[in-house]
Parts: sequence; structure tokens; C-alpha cells
Amino acid sequence: MSEDDDRSPPSDLGCADSESSSKTRNCSGISGSGSTSVEVQAPYPDQVLENVLENVLCFLTSRRDRSAASLVCKSWYRAEALTRSELFIGNCYAVSPRRATTRFTRVRSVAIKGKPRFADFNLMPPNWGAHFSPWVATMAKAYPWLEKIYLKRMSVTDENLAILAHSFPSFKELALVCCEGFGTSGLAVVASKCRQLKVLDLIESEVLDDDVDWISCFPESHTCLESLIFDCVECLINFEALERLVVRSPYLKKLRLNRLASIGQLHRLMVRAPQLTHLGTGSFTTLDAVQGEPEPDYASAFAASRSLVCLSGFREASPEFLFAIYPVCANLTSLNFSYATIDVEELKSVICHCRKLQTLWVLDTICDEGLQAVAASCKELRELRVFPVEAQEDFESPVSEVGFQAISEGCRKLESILYFCQRMTNAAVIAMSKNCPDLVVFRLCIMGRHRPDYVTGEPMDEGFGAIVMNCKKLTRLAVSGLLTDRAFDYIGKYGKLVRTLSVAFAGDSDMGLKYVLEGCPNLQKLEIRDSPFGDAALLSGLHHYYNMRFLWMSSCRLTREGCTEIARALPRMVVEVMQEANAVRDEERRGFIDTLYMYRSLEGPRDDAPEVVEIA
Amino acid sequence: MSSSDSERMLKLKSSDGVTFDIKDAIVVTKLEFIKNIIEDCCGDNDLILVPNVNSEILAMVLEWCKKHVGDDIISDGEDDEENEYFSRKKEIKKWDAEFVKNLDQGVLYHLLMAADYLNAKQLLDLLTQRVADMIKGKKSEQIRQIFNIKNDFTPEEEEAIKKRNPWAFE
Repeated sequence: MSEDDDRSPPSDLGCADSESSSKTRNCSGISGSGSTSVEVQAPYPDQVLENVLENVLCFLTSRRDRSAASLVCKSWYRAEALTRSELFIGNCYAVSPRRATTRFTRVRSVAIKGKPRFADFNLMPPNWGAHFSPWVATMAKAYPWLEKIYLKRMSVTDENLAILAHSFPSFKELALVCCEGFGTSGLAVVASKCRQLKVLDLIESEVLDDDVDWISCFPESHTCLESLIFDCVECLINFEALERLVVRSPYLKKLRLNRLASIGQLHRLMVRAPQLTHLGTGSFTTLDAVQGEPEPDYASAFAASRSLVCLSGFREASPEFLFAIYPVCANLTSLNFSYATIDVEELKSVICHCRKLQTLWVLDTICDEGLQAVAASCKELRELRVFPVEAQEDFESPVSEVGFQAISEGCRKLESILYFCQRMTNAAVIAMSKNCPDLVVFRLCIMGRHRPDYVTGEPMDEGFGAIVMNCKKLTRLAVSGLLTDRAFDYIGKYGKLVRTLSVAFAGDSDMGLKYVLEGCPNLQKLEIRDSPFGDAALLSGLHHYYNMRFLWMSSCRLTREGCTEIARALPRMVVEVMQEANAVRDEERRGFIDTLYMYRSLEGPRDDAPEVVEIA
Repeated sequence: MSSSDSERMLKLKSSDGVTFDIKDAIVVTKLEFIKNIIEDCCGDNDLILVPNVNSEILAMVLEWCKKHVGDDIISDGEDDEENEYFSRKKEIKKWDAEFVKNLDQGVLYHLLMAADYLNAKQLLDLLTQRVADMIKGKKSEQIRQIFNIKNDFTPEEEEAIKKRNPWAFE
């Protein structure tokens, strides 16, 4: 090889094409000892960043970081839009599908949330909205390489599912949480057409029984299935087909059966899938006792499932079978007994083995004594939910401040609690605020309206005050019991990180809501029912509503005029008013609207609202 | 090619005239740019000019290359070898973290520029991750200050975007 002086560089060294002079890149050449070096034009720092910007932005996954990056300058805005692969839509009415797909063109994963949470409590008409249709139609054209869809509280039809199944050849994951409007026919299309499907999770959704055997529709050869969750599906499944499906799904890790699956069927599936990590046990009882057949060895099946960390189901659980889960308890990190009416002794027999438990959902049938057992055994507990077996107001609840305090003393790492009870004391709540400083979510539901401290008869202001004062990481709060404006004063003063606040049957006057709206800069979602807040309180939040995802107020003291005034003052909010036309109104509620649901939006009033919804 | 490749020495000359002697094997798998030059036409003791990179930065790049020699060799599955492989990987990761930790902006830019120019993908990934870490949790104005970026939105554009768009996707 000769060494020529001043030889021009080979083309594969790729001198950058200069769109602008400052982007000139210079290439070196090989030289002997006598050559001169080539002229260098160093790019400006921000040009350097532009060259590598897309690489940098790929490392940004948090939505807030991406928003910040998009606002740095025009080229960052463009680069960020090109590199965003996960799209999150917190309110499906805040932005149109077209606007979203025009800005973000390379999305692989979409999450959309629709109705506000109070929809779960029958506070909204069935055809209210949150339709998936316009989204799936637009995405079908804009994102042909889409892989994941997560929907929460959306209305989804079988037709939507068919479009999904036919439009996205790389589709891998579908999760429908608290959705409705579709049935087994829709599931059948997804199962048969989405050949690369890894995840099909149906969680707390209503699924219509069209008499279609969707389980049989999965591919005949090995499937890619990793997660199949259908515990909310209220129709019979073709069990033999499910068994065959499990056998030909070697990657299956999560399987949650519905309550129509018997324990015998559960056993057969467990034997074929010992690799499961998450198991929903279905009914956990013998639904159709077959006479004369020997009882399968349930405990062995559990013992063989060495990877199980999460157990749920127990929908009609017979306590006689509980012993079978003992072999896996030591490894469990999550246990959901919220459908199992087990008593103290039954709970104790299980929980004493669950030393690694981090998440526990139970019914209040376990009583305060059961909670004491949890406190004694589960030192790693992060999340506890105690649900009422009887959600009635005048019922003697078996759990109280006693169990609550025990938990606070035993489970110091607690981060999230949801607790239903009929009686509570400030002392117990204050104790929890001091014992569990890591609390991020605190939801206390003292059933029965305006219940005071059980021992002192005082309002529950001091307890909730202590929570916002001492739990410095708190972002979600639900309050209940007898509360005066003082409680809201505390929340406004100390709840600086609170993003979600739920209020029911609380407060004295407009001041309460004012304190919160003026004091909580991070408030995103505010849901209020049956509280005495009126138009003046509503108006006190004008400065903040554009920073929030939504405001919900039902059975408060808002008038139509108040809503119209808000709508006029805030043109970019959509103000929806719901009024039951023919409801019998008692004297107290005359003149007041039933429900206000208000949210910021780039699109203005929606055109799919049912008659009962009026847009101010 | 007269000598065996693995022992061959190269000379790299920085923009400010400093020459670095370095074994071929150390740089050739990490710096695509060098690899391409050598493949085309290199004899022993050839001097490769790296005119875009000054000596301070080139020294750092070479230091990084030396640390990462053979880091992509995977063991054959023998337990001992595997343990050694994993502990070496861990050690390299720690070293990388230290390497980027206290870089001042100017040096970071020039390193990024050098890594981009020398087509050093692995080093580029490390540095871009570092830049991303500097961006995380920051507001737009802070990001601009850190990287000395001019805000080229008009006030109207900025108002419009700030007020309307980000939250819709947050």
C-alpha cells in the first residue's frame, strides 16, 4: 500500500453532508510523517447535541421529562415527537386521536383512560361516552406497527376489537381494565387474528356472553401467550380447550381463571403449568362434585409451582381447601383474598407463613384479630386493602381502629392503604401517620355518613391532618367521617404533593373546598360527592383548573348559573352538567344540579354526549 | 500487513499535534472510524490523524478503550469463567459510572463529539445516557441553561405550547 500525500479520503469515512456550514465534519487521512492536518470546523455545542439528540431522548421514559424536553427548542420538540414510543392519554376527551397521531408518529404502545372513577359507583348513565371507536379507527391508519394497548374505563365494542385485530400485525399486548361494551365474539377475533399475542388481560371489565368459545380461537400451534387474565368474565369457558391452550403456551406465566372454574379444573391446569408466577384460582371450591372420584392432591400441585409469587381468585372459597396453598406462602409477595369470606382462624393459618408478603387484599371478615396476625407476620407489607363484606351503613363492622392501629405498628413499610370500617378514632389515624411515614396512598372509608371519632365524639379532622402533616410523600388521599372545614385547611396547608383527592359527605362550608384549591398546587384529580360546596367554592379554583385533569362534584350545592359562569371564565375547560330529568327532588336539592364533571381539553365540547349530559 | 494484527502498534495524532501510541487491538473494535481506516490501507507505524479531537479528549477516549478491552467476550459457560465474566462486567460498569460522573459540560460535549466522530457506539451510548440523566427531572429552562441552547420558540408559540400541549399527554 502506498502512502500518498494529500490523498482524498475514502468515501466510506462518510464526510457528513453539510446542510449548514456549521455541520461540517472533517475526515482524516493517512499520512506519512510529512503531511499537514486537515482544517477543522468544530460544531457548536447545540449542534453536537442535535446529532446525538435522538439517542439521548430514547433514554427518557418519564412523561414529564419528555414534556420538558419537547419545550427546550424547536428541534428538540421535533426530535422528542419522533422518539416517543409510549403514548399516554389521561383523559380521552382532552385531545383528539388525530392531534395525538399527528404529533407522535412512531408510537408502539398506547394507554388511554376514559371515564372518571366515580363511574364505578353507578353515578353515570350507561351510554355516557369514552368510546374507543374514534381512537382505534385513527390508530389503525397511523400506527400500523402498534404493539400494545391499555384501556381503562373505556367503552369498547366487538367491532373495535375486530379492527384492532386486523390492523396491527405486530400486536402483542391488550389490557382492558374496567371496560365494557364488548363480548366473547370480540375476544374470539383478537385470539384468532393476533398471532403474536403475549398478553390478554381482562380486569374488572364487563364481558357480554355471546356464546362464542373464544378460548378455542387461539392459534393451533405454540402460542406466545405470557399472560391470560379473565377472572372477571362471567361466562363458562370451554375447559378442555383451555387445558390444551395452556399445554401449548410454554411462555405462560400469568393465568387468572374466572369464578366458574372449579378447584378440580384449577388442579389440572396447575399440573400442566408449574412455571406460573401469577395464579388466579377461580372459585377454589368443588362446583360439580363428581361422586366416587378420588380428591386430587391440591397441595402437591401448589408445591410444584415453585415460581408462584402472586395468588388471587378464591371466589367461592371453601376453607377446607386453604391448606393447599401453604407450600407457596413463603414466597408469596401478593395475596388477594378480597372475594374470600374467610374468618380469623383461617386467615391466621395462612398468613403466618407469608413473611415476604408485600400486597394483601382481604375482606373485613378477618376481623381486628386477623389484622393483628397480619401485623405480626407481614413485616414487608407495602399495600393493604380491607374491603367490607357488607357495605351497608348501619352494620357492625368487624374491623375498627384496633386492627388499623395494629397494622400501623407492625407494618412500618406501608405505602398504600385502603380501609373500610364503621368506626375509627383520631388516635389510630395519628398513630399510622407517625408509624408509616412512607405512605403515598391513604384512603380511609368510614362507612356511615358523618361518623365522628368513636371514642371522643370529635370530628376526624386531627387524624387526617396528621396524615398530611407527617406523610411527606402522600400523593393520593381519600377522606371520610365527620369532617369540618378544619380538615381541609390542613390538607391545603400540608398536602403539597397531593395529586388525587376524594371527598364524600364532608365539610361545613365553601371554605373547605377553597382551602384545598388554593393550597394544593399539584392537585390533578378532585372527586367530591354529597358535600356542601357551592358556586363560590367552585369559583375559588379558577386559577388552578387548567392544571388539573378533572374535577367531579356530585350532589353538592352547585347551580346551573355557577356552572355557566365557570364555563365562560375558562373557555378551554369542558363543563359537563348532568341532571336526572325526572328525578324526584326533595326540597333541599331543588335548584342544585346533580353532577358537574369538568376537564381541560384541546378539542372543545364533545359531540358524543348522551342527552342527560349538558355542556355549559 | 506485516506484523500480527493483535500486536500491531498504531499512532494517533490529535488536533493539537500530540501523538499517542496505542495497540491496534485496543482501539480497533471500539472505534469504527479507526477500523475503517486500517482496513483500507494500513501498514506498520502508520500515523492516523484525528483532527477533530484534541489531546485531552483523545486521551480520555483511549483510556476508556483500554478499560473496555475484551468486554464483549462471553464465557463458554464454565461456572468459574462465568463468575469472572460477571464480576468483571460489574467492575467495568462501576468504572464507567465514575468516568462520566464529574465530567464538566465542555468535556462532555467534546467527548460526545469525539465519540460521534470516531463512531464509537458503545462509548456514545454511555455518554448519551449521561446526558439523559442530566435532563431527567429538569424543567425546560434548566435544560437550556445546562446545554447552552437557544430557545427559538416565539413567545406566542411558547405560550401556546406550554399552556396547551404537554399536559394532554402527561
